[in-house]
Amino acid sequence: MSKDKIIIDSNLSSFFSFKEIIRYKNLLNNLAKRDLLVRYKQAFAGIIWAIIKPLISVLIFGYIASKINSGESTALNFLYVATAMLLWQLFSNIFNEVSNSIVGNANLFAKVYFPKIIIPLSTILVCLVDFFISLIILVILFIISGQPVHWQIILAPLFVLLTVINGFGIGLYFATINVKFRDVKFIVPVMIQFGMYASPVIFPTKYYLDRLPDWLHWLYCLNPMVGAIDGFKYCLFGGDAIYNAGFFILSLCVSFLFLIIGVRYFFKFERSFVDYI
Amino acid sequence: MSQNPIIQVEGLSKQYILNKNPVEKSDTLYGNIISSVKGLRNITRKKETEDFWALQDVSFQINQGDRVGIIGRNGAGKSTLLKILSRITPPTSGRIEYTGRMASLLEVGTGFHGDLSGRENIYLNGSILGMSKHEIDKKFDEIVAFSEVEKFLDTPVKRYSSGMYVRLAFAVAAHLDPEILIVDEVLAVGDAAFQKKCLGKMEDVSTKEGRTILFVSHNMDAVQKLCNKGILLHKGKLLHEGPIDSVISSYINNNVLSNGYFEIEKNQIENLNSLGAVLSVSILNNNDEIVGEVPTGSVWKVKIKFRLDKENEFFVIGYGLQSLFGTPINTSWSSGKRMDKGVYEAVFINNEIFYSTGQYKLAVGLSNNNHSFFYNDTESFLSISDAGVAFETDRIINKDSGLILNQTPVEIIKIVNE
Repeated sequence: MSKDKIIIDSNLSSFFSFKEIIRYKNLLNNLAKRDLLVRYKQAFAGIIWAIIKPLISVLIFGYIASKINSGESTALNFLYVATAMLLWQLFSNIFNEVSNSIVGNANLFAKVYFPKIIIPLSTILVCLVDFFISLIILVILFIISGQPVHWQIILAPLFVLLTVINGFGIGLYFATINVKFRDVKFIVPVMIQFGMYASPVIFPTKYYLDRLPDWLHWLYCLNPMVGAIDGFKYCLFGGDAIYNAGFFILSLCVSFLFLIIGVRYFFKFERSFVDYI
Repeated sequence: MSQNPIIQVEGLSKQYILNKNPVEKSDTLYGNIISSVKGLRNITRKKETEDFWALQDVSFQINQGDRVGIIGRNGAGKSTLLKILSRITPPTSGRIEYTGRMASLLEVGTGFHGDLSGRENIYLNGSILGMSKHEIDKKFDEIVAFSEVEKFLDTPVKRYSSGMYVRLAFAVAAHLDPEILIVDEVLAVGDAAFQKKCLGKMEDVSTKEGRTILFVSHNMDAVQKLCNKGILLHKGKLLHEGPIDSVISSYINNNVLSNGYFEIEKNQIENLNSLGAVLSVSILNNNDEIVGEVPTGSVWKVKIKFRLDKENEFFVIGYGLQSLFGTPINTSWSSGKRMDKGVYEAVFINNEIFYSTGQYKLAVGLSNNNHSFFYNDTESFLSISDAGVAFETDRIINKDSGLILNQTPVEIIKIVNE
């Protein structure tokens, strides 16, 4: 048994400690397991809901895309939309769930000490499980459209990770604000709704950049999901999904900037959460 | 002393800032904007907050294997101290050093989820308390045996009786194996037999395995049985520290030697969810004067000032007497009726049963539609003094007489003739 000397003082901020997270990995798993078990208990269709939700979005927006972008086959249009939509839903789920995770689990850390970062981390696991289930849609669409699979597909997990980083970084920032201002609960869904149209979900990046004045291009690419979605599309379809390497890198930088800001902000106030909840 | 302290607390303070005007809560952006606009307008006016020191400059040491009872009235800072010790909230100033694994039980069944089965909840709750999967696996059978819910392990805990729920929750916590265990009044739940079992388990853990226990309770009986040392807090300050018996008696003296007026809850704290609260309790004599002590045999009254925040359909106010160790002695209550919002005073006149010399706890409660919404048995006391010559009686009275009844007829028959 560890015989650590623990010192408690009035310093408000804490720090990110991998050692502690490893020590509490059992809690991480169990919280994720709880969320998954509870979500589909007493639901007749059970885990199938993890497919139905994204499927509906894919059907609606795939239909819209194939009406507007009639240059490609319908199946291909659906496939493009599905690819971006699944990744976008992974991002929006993580963003939304992480931003509400601290407030939603206040009853836990108000009574027992554990590193609070475990809560948003467990949320990510839950969202990832949903994401991997929803990938079935993508597999089916690949088969229907007869689209070949490129070697780049081995890089795809990197962009899934990038999406997780995006959702987690921004989510942590809002989770911290949420402790004091419950308005976050209402703001985040609005941001997600708006964000989907500002990201290459329904249409590719090229479509947006062609229609925006040049001086707004960099602004569009400050959206960290532009890099993630374009990179993911590149892995699955190859070709010119990454429209502009400079913008792509800019988007990547924003992702990591958000992560650093989110994590730092979270740990700055983490210790005093209980006093504000 | 040869032992090294396992916990060392130095100059610990915790300050809370209270919002004086609860209507303009700054919990929402809107509220923040409103109050900052108002702040600009009345820039000269003082900010409407109030500092409140829940703990002030508390220092003490605890040695390994000590079982320390932390006692004090409501608002003395006991829970704050436990929260800081268990790293739930940071102190405003001061420092704590401790060695080893600490587990705190400020609530039983933290994280229990109603939809999960008993088995799933054991794993979840265990991991929240910091146990690894391996540890829980190893202790699983023991936990189940202690909780006595074997048959319902795969039933969702929402279908458990409250007793089963508490037993399972305590069972997990009891098998934690920390070097330092912090327990906050969790024993107030569960039936008497189970409470005894919990106390026994805690004693075992401490005496056999040399673990350190910090225990907060209003139940002096339990504290006295379990603990060997005590810490008495009063309004955030450390009043007394030492062997448990001396700390308990200092707690009793500190509380009971009063002027007969007890503030229960401050008027300005308005809780939106509450139906009402008792504000103060006074002990009156027959001439309606507040008295610190009542001579045995004389009439006394309890005046309870209370506030109703909403209209109550079937309102009942009651009070009861208990021994200092919490054994109930009697209870009286008003007949139920509809009451409007407002501040009231109720006076109970006690002229039928006389109590012998000593100190009693006075419990007050409010209920609506047979549902109790306010209860307090820690803030007010009754002190009965020797009657002196004023009480003309031919009965024998001493400290241990309990209730003095004059209605019991006694017949004495001689059964052996000599």
